[in-house]
Amino acid sequence: MLKIRSTKKKKSQEEIMDQHSRRRVYFSLLAALLLQLLPFSGLLLQIKPDFLLLALLFWLLRAPHICNVGIAWTAGIIMDLVSGDLFGQNALAYALTAFLALMYQRRLILFTVLQQSAYVFLLLLVNQAILLMLKSFSGAEYFGWVYFMPSFTGILFWYAVLHSRYSFNFMAHK
Amino acid sequence: MDQQQAPRFFIHGPSPFARLIVFSTLSLALMASDSKSSYLHQVRQLLVTAIHPLHFVAFSPFKLANDVQSYFVAQQSLKNEIEVLKKKNLYQGVQLQSLAMFKNENDNLRTLLETSKAGAHSSQLAEIMYTGRDPFTHKVIVNLGAKNKILAGQAVVDSAGVIGQVTRVFTYTSEVTLLTDKDLLIPVQVERNTLRAIVFGNGRNNSVNLPYLPANVDIKKGDKLVTSGIDGIYPPGLAVAIVESVNTNVRSPFAQIVAIPAAGTQNHRQVLILTRDTNNLVAKDIEKVLGADAQNPLNKKEKVSRRNHGPT
Repeated sequence: MLKIRSTKKKKSQEEIMDQHSRRRVYFSLLAALLLQLLPFSGLLLQIKPDFLLLALLFWLLRAPHICNVGIAWTAGIIMDLVSGDLFGQNALAYALTAFLALMYQRRLILFTVLQQSAYVFLLLLVNQAILLMLKSFSGAEYFGWVYFMPSFTGILFWYAVLHSRYSFNFMAHK
Repeated sequence: MDQQQAPRFFIHGPSPFARLIVFSTLSLALMASDSKSSYLHQVRQLLVTAIHPLHFVAFSPFKLANDVQSYFVAQQSLKNEIEVLKKKNLYQGVQLQSLAMFKNENDNLRTLLETSKAGAHSSQLAEIMYTGRDPFTHKVIVNLGAKNKILAGQAVVDSAGVIGQVTRVFTYTSEVTLLTDKDLLIPVQVERNTLRAIVFGNGRNNSVNLPYLPANVDIKKGDKLVTSGIDGIYPPGLAVAIVESVNTNVRSPFAQIVAIPAAGTQNHRQVLILTRDTNNLVAKDIEKVLGADAQNPLNKKEKVSRRNHGPT
């Protein structure tokens, strides 16, 4: 009897923890969306990293039981609304990128930060390439390598954040 | 009892691959239906209205900074501005007097010619909220929408000339495609010799093109292009662009003409949305034809041929 009660208690605690981290994931995704919505213009808009995708990738690699392909797809739909693109463009790109991230997730969490960053960079490029392909189907033009600027700034941002002292402490604590 | 404590490090639910298949099929279906039919428009409108508060939150720091900045504008600069505006007002007042005279004269002449009067355009002042998320399309979002009776297709201008056209209307906001966007075309006239042409957005730089004009066309650098008004969307006579360069190439039968927009498409915050000019005869005619075509699409060809032979 005692054993049952203890397991039950443990489970509910786990659930609370789960809910807690779930809330943290959603909150950070919302914050990333707000960052994405900041009214940039001109050069700043061209080099602005895809904050939402970076946040998604972070949680896809760290909490795949909370942040999955479905969440990525939903985020993509919101991006479609925000950018006024065809419905489903960003959603498809995000879902595919999320899948690629999940495919090697088990191995990736064992990598060093640098190795992880390399893979994330690849994912960012893939995301933009998919978007470019989908947009060119609906008549957009390719604008040269400047189009891929957000991937470069994105990976710099990723590396800077993961290497900052705070996140180091955070991970050590974990 | 041990089975109850399933290890949590396994991903639960359907596998990522199954999810991917489901969601990519869904987005492909969405893309196809969004590009080919318009029934998703309502859904989009609803969702855009739903995420409007997020925009509001994202803009609030910038708006606050702006407000604070404008509050602390030095008195001297305000004084200077008033001085400049007063002078401008004086000059424009003088010009306006002669304009009234010209307008009367023009109206009289037009009544003599039995054509429609060039009506004054009413307009709504809109503020640009933000430029589009995609840096490679030239679109801006303004703060007027269906609630303010904005319709898709209305022309958008500033004090210097045409900026673009309203292409999508949401409940509280609407999307304006700038004339530098690759997909926007504006029928124009060269002011100097009333030659008609069509201005295409360039898409890359802040410029527009005039393609498909013969190499010997009479357009020079510095020519002013104004709207011709034959489309029924843009009222005639609005400045569109100034010709920047005219190049002819031996290999191409067409001249390569590049023009710079007259209006400040990049650096304005406030724009005017012109209400559709219903007095315009051409607009009425177009509407009539469109209405008739919508009623009996089968007679379309016949009607066009009749229209072509009609006036003779």
